[in-house]
Amino acid sequence: MALKIPIPGRKKETAPEPGDGAANGNGASPNGTNGDGPTRAEKVAKVKEATVHHGTAAAKNTTDWLDERVNGTGIYTAMLSRKVPKGTNWFYTLGSSVMFIFSMQAITGVFLAMYYTPSATEAYSSISHITNEVFLGEFVRGLHKWGASLMIILIFLHMARTFFFGAYKYPRELNWVIGVVLIVLTMVMGLTGYLLPFDQRSFWATIVANNITASGPVLGPYLADFLRAGPDFSATTLSRFYALHMLVVPGLIGGLIAAHLFLVVKLGTTAPPWIKAPRPKGSRPSELVPAGVPMVDATEMSLNGHSGNGHVEVSENGASLPTAETDGAAEGPPSEGEAS
Amino acid sequence: MKARDKEEYLSEYEILKKKGKSFFPYAIVKDSVMFVLVAAVLILMSIVMGAEQGPKADPTTTTYVPRPEWYFFFLFELLKVIKPPALVPLATIGIPTICMILLILLPFYDRNPERIPWKRPVASISGILVIVAMGYLTYMGASAGSPNEIELETAPEFEQGKQVVAQAGCLACHNIGENGAEGGLGPNLTEIGAMLPREAIKRSVAIGPGIMPSYRGLGEKKLNEVADYLASLD
Repeated sequence: MALKIPIPGRKKETAPEPGDGAANGNGASPNGTNGDGPTRAEKVAKVKEATVHHGTAAAKNTTDWLDERVNGTGIYTAMLSRKVPKGTNWFYTLGSSVMFIFSMQAITGVFLAMYYTPSATEAYSSISHITNEVFLGEFVRGLHKWGASLMIILIFLHMARTFFFGAYKYPRELNWVIGVVLIVLTMVMGLTGYLLPFDQRSFWATIVANNITASGPVLGPYLADFLRAGPDFSATTLSRFYALHMLVVPGLIGGLIAAHLFLVVKLGTTAPPWIKAPRPKGSRPSELVPAGVPMVDATEMSLNGHSGNGHVEVSENGASLPTAETDGAAEGPPSEGEAS
Repeated sequence: MKARDKEEYLSEYEILKKKGKSFFPYAIVKDSVMFVLVAAVLILMSIVMGAEQGPKADPTTTTYVPRPEWYFFFLFELLKVIKPPALVPLATIGIPTICMILLILLPFYDRNPERIPWKRPVASISGILVIVAMGYLTYMGASAGSPNEIELETAPEFEQGKQVVAQAGCLACHNIGENGAEGGLGPNLTEIGAMLPREAIKRSVAIGPGIMPSYRGLGEKKLNEVADYLASLD
């Protein structure tokens, strides 16, 4: 199938396409999100129609070929046409801003690495060269330098948002842990990067940081020796910091961002805590929805690739209903969802 | 969190998600606006503040007082707040480590299912206190000023000597005006010119009386400049 770009409306979930592996990207969906609306046959027809109307046959063949092998449509559906809950506001852009600025750091870092020499004798002059002679050199160095500060600010704002919205609670505990590790690694980036210009400031600040590390319990002295590449600050220290700054730590950060994002997509982003779903009086959803069902349901659906028709879905008011009705009930008048 | 709380949260979340919008394009648009804003701020910062380069690293200067990047100020200030030497390892490694462990394990000891900030006052107030403390320490670090800078006004002919005094690290032990070591080891030099004649000052700097190290290594020219500058302080 071609990459049909659904601009999903407010009402219906994107129809999962036949044979489409991860059609349902909403891993945390307890009730299954599909199943209402047209039958499977109708959907297949609709997809075929859409395919015919889009692009040339060659383009279609290419996308088909790719799709068959990498399941791009499935990834697309999982990543982009997933839903963000009601009430999602500007606070929810902080996380992606951190990621954005991390990519900026990676790009400017690559350009700086093209001109930088990580040796104690030449580091300072290579920085002078970048600053004074290379085209836009000082600008790119400025982007990288101030990008670090901005990343720290944004990452702390993102953490504050997560903290005050209680977004670290079930089922997202693991993502909080990954996030804290990412903050620590970002600070390590700041620390290792600070030495690289090799001016007085960076040199002496690093000496102090190392002495602080050495005063740590048990592992402290060993860690400090490892960082310094020996008992004293030497020429190797600089190249060691350089390797950590541009290979080890960014690699770890990249991997952990991927894990962080995977969990965001799988579990979904939180709604602001004061936004409450409407609930008919006297209902007790928890008594009827068995624990663990959500995950199992979602996995099963994505593995089998079936559309969810025929599932007996559980509506928010706890009664077992055919899904078409469920969705209708959940839709409700928009005002109902607002917190009073 | 009890099993019932979990289920309740999940089913509630499912409803909110159903009533929500698609990530593409609705959330993406907000994200993109934010990206543009962040990029604009960053470009502006780079153009306005640039990336200046300090003097080259010199391992032989033993008097340079180091300052970390601003986002480490809170750690740095923590060091200054805790004075007794026996407690310094506690400040440097102990407290940050404990804070880090508390931060990582937050979801595992805060098991209150409530998420609304004003309905979980203990968590919210603790969070605000931590932010205030970190903000205060960062402010302290920032307002301490560069340890190698003297803000006191000087006549232009003594400017050279002032530079030498600043770079030689006198402020690690002495005070001059608003700058220098708080409750430092050495006497306050703000009005030293009124107390000692120029020659006595020069001799003290060269010899280093008591616990003060000798600065004869500065050379005759710089010693004279230092003496001229210090004698002008009254």
